[in-house]
Amino acid sequence: MAAMTEAQSAFPSPYEIETPPGCEGWQEMYPYYALFDERRRAEDEKRFWFWNSMHFPEPMPAFDVICIDSPYQAVGNWQNRVFAVPPAMGIDYRCVNGYIYISGNPVTDPQKIAERAEFFQKRAGYYYEHWSELYGRWRERMDSLIAELTALRVPELPEYEPDEVAFGEERNTSFYEVLDAYTRTLRLSDLMWQHHFEFLLLGYGAYATFAELCKANLPEIPDQHIAQMVAGIDVILFRPDAELKRLARLAIELGVDGAFQQGRSPAEIDSELERSEPGRRWLAELARVKDPWFNMATGDGLYHFYRSWHDDPSIPYASLIGHIAALNAGERIERPTEEILRERERLAQEYGALLDPSARKTFEELLALSRTVFPYVEEHKFFCDYWFLTKWWNKVREFGALLARHGFLEEGEDVFQLSRYEVAQALDELTLSWATGGQPLGPKHWPAIVKRRKQILARLAEWTPPPALGAMPEAVTDPMTIMLWGVTTERVREWARHERGGGVLSGAPASPGTVEGIARVVRSVEQIGEVREGEILVCGATSPAWAPIFSKISAAVTDVGGVMSHAAIVCREYGLPAVVGTGRATAEIHTGQRIRVDGTAGRVELLNDR
Amino acid sequence: MTEYTRPFSELRAADEPLFGGKSAGLGELLAAEIPVPPGFGVSVAAFECFVEESGLGERIASALAEAASGELAALERAAQTIGEAIRDAPVPAAVRAEVERRYRELGGTAGGSAACNGATAKAATGAQPPVAVRSSAVGEDAAEATFAGQQESYLWVRGPEQVCTALRDCWASLYSAPAISYRLRLAGHAPRAAMGVAVQLMVDAAAAGVMFTCSPVSGDPSVVAINASWGLGLAVVGGEVTPDEYLVSKVTRELVRERLGNKTVEYVPSPDGQGAARVPVAPERAAMRCLSEDQLAALVEIARRVERYFGCHQDIEWALARDGSLWFVQSRPVTVAARRPQLVTAESALSLVMRKFGAKVD
Repeated sequence: MAAMTEAQSAFPSPYEIETPPGCEGWQEMYPYYALFDERRRAEDEKRFWFWNSMHFPEPMPAFDVICIDSPYQAVGNWQNRVFAVPPAMGIDYRCVNGYIYISGNPVTDPQKIAERAEFFQKRAGYYYEHWSELYGRWRERMDSLIAELTALRVPELPEYEPDEVAFGEERNTSFYEVLDAYTRTLRLSDLMWQHHFEFLLLGYGAYATFAELCKANLPEIPDQHIAQMVAGIDVILFRPDAELKRLARLAIELGVDGAFQQGRSPAEIDSELERSEPGRRWLAELARVKDPWFNMATGDGLYHFYRSWHDDPSIPYASLIGHIAALNAGERIERPTEEILRERERLAQEYGALLDPSARKTFEELLALSRTVFPYVEEHKFFCDYWFLTKWWNKVREFGALLARHGFLEEGEDVFQLSRYEVAQALDELTLSWATGGQPLGPKHWPAIVKRRKQILARLAEWTPPPALGAMPEAVTDPMTIMLWGVTTERVREWARHERGGGVLSGAPASPGTVEGIARVVRSVEQIGEVREGEILVCGATSPAWAPIFSKISAAVTDVGGVMSHAAIVCREYGLPAVVGTGRATAEIHTGQRIRVDGTAGRVELLNDR
Repeated sequence: MTEYTRPFSELRAADEPLFGGKSAGLGELLAAEIPVPPGFGVSVAAFECFVEESGLGERIASALAEAASGELAALERAAQTIGEAIRDAPVPAAVRAEVERRYRELGGTAGGSAACNGATAKAATGAQPPVAVRSSAVGEDAAEATFAGQQESYLWVRGPEQVCTALRDCWASLYSAPAISYRLRLAGHAPRAAMGVAVQLMVDAAAAGVMFTCSPVSGDPSVVAINASWGLGLAVVGGEVTPDEYLVSKVTRELVRERLGNKTVEYVPSPDGQGAARVPVAPERAAMRCLSEDQLAALVEIARRVERYFGCHQDIEWALARDGSLWFVQSRPVTVAARRPQLVTAESALSLVMRKFGAKVD
């Protein structure tokens, strides 16, 4: 296979990526272990790293690095140390120019894999069997975690400690309370991430297995239909919007819908509502809805700048305005849940009926399992990524405000430009100098650092990270990498080809299979005698007169034709991969050129020149 | 008396040995109440009568003997010799009389002109309706015959004399170079050379194409795969254009995927009223979609009906007449079972999930 020759040169070395001008020193924002360090160059250069653009599309602010460390600690802990997924340990990450590249740690020793398989079967089997019960307990733990976070107080540093410290028995001093609150804040994030990944891997696994079964037996099935068959009806993620729809109806019932005019800010709307009794009733109802349903995030991401509806009500208010306008126009805005339910059952029924009886049984079992696990897959996002995380960033902001009040930062928001260790350091100095009454250095130290980092981040945001770094993997086998990021061996090859600048033609996938070989361009039927055994036929189109050629060739590519054209039909008959209707194969490919024909995807790769 | 012709409406699958797969299949389609343009089958017996009365048997045998080497040049020489002999010999009077009678009836049928709308109405009076004359292969080699080039089609044939000429052309295709080569390769196992012919009223097609009741590539049974191009179906079947390709879900009737082709040529009735002419299509029309969502839905409806009737996946040729009506001119089983990536079945759902994580379960 070509994999070996590509191995050394497939992607840029992570050690040869240049720092964009003006970004010198970006490394100081990140922990030492997050960098491609010369001391482990030999190992790291041989690995395959891909940019996790799904979770980290933007350069990481220093504090936000906690949203890399904690999740990868948690995912590795569950996957590697608890469930012992046989072929995969955890996922390593490295930072380049502020962007996050990741690489799975495979298990290759067959004995080790077998040993892990025993753990996995026992433990994962237990989870699948007791899913609903375990998930119920998970919800309780998550509730109490959020309650603790909400109750966590970030103390002020007073001129004099209150009487309780002097006369009470269990009152700690303020320096300790500040430091303790900060430590606890960090630990709560760790706990959330621990909960986040407890079920996620197994939940995705069941769903991915069902999706795979569907696609193996019904290769053209739209992903949407698979999701529709599994998706829950009464899902928490739909609740916030459902509550807004209810509030929209209420506004009309109370006759206060006139306040919701396009272009008005939430504050303007609220102040009009305050002026009337029905308006105040509506606001009271809104206050009840806000907790918890305004704990939605305004974006989908792990950065501190994704806020909640509480923080930025313009988003839910825009929805309210839209819902009210739709209702007044006589439209129905509620989700047609009964129809959705009926359609979900109809799809499951009809797709099931198209399968062989044995496949159908597995289909039904997997569908049932997927429906059991799916509430978690859908709901953990609301509890963890939206509710907890938006509240948690706000807790960090409280520490930022404390530092700003004492001149360590120009504004509270700047706290995110410091790493969590630097914030600990700043808090140490703050509590120290507050306690001693001495002159803190922080106000002369941190603001300059913050300023520089903001400039670096702004410049790094303009840099385009390559999709992958390092070596070409033999094959991608890590289940999470495949399931979650969709990074497959095929996808990686595509990146590599792009890197080499090789050409690619696309056409109709006419006969499945992949073959790599030497092209033979045949412009007319008179030339068919030139074709040698095993070559790949490249031609305008074929007709029945070309019949003798098909027992010789290993694949066919045509300029013209569809999946029912002569070449397509005959190739399927002979089991040869074929791509037809490429438009320009005979113009772009020359005889003797090495090409790869992927008849399943409808792609022809031009591998080298003669 | 030997039966030389029979209307499609009276043919069924069991008549395949006598009339060939094409004619018998059209009879079955009619039985399934699928709209098929009227026509009739010419029997294998008619061909045999022709060979006997014209005394061609020996000439064919000796020409074939000279091609026994399988050399391309020798095959072509034999094909030419036999083809000329067949085209020069007269159609036996008894066969000719029946064919002419049936042909005239086609022009007279009310169904005929209604059926083929643009066809009969515009192009001719009832006496000389335009028809398609196609070979109707017999026996196990029918499927192979299709791609070995024995499936000759003569389109827009008008007048009894022209029908008889097309008839002999079809018979001659039994001895095309690829066909001879194919039978040589089968050596002793080759079936006797026999062939029926189907004569069918033409549809003046605005667009035409082929559809499969499953994906021909992946074998997915939940979709109907439809190919379409402008004009008569010849352009699609002959692979002369890159047609529009539509995949439509049988479950939701949604268009799952479409790929608009580059339909640079089309076949239309010749201006002189005889035969089909290949004409270029203007670039903007070549890239234009040839079927509406409603037309796709109507095709899927028929595809499901045909699939249910035959109980297996079908490969169906269709034509859209200029008045918007849909007609079906062939249906046959999908011979090549596209490889379906089958899961290891008889496994529990849980063990499949375990396998997904790389835990092998015995």
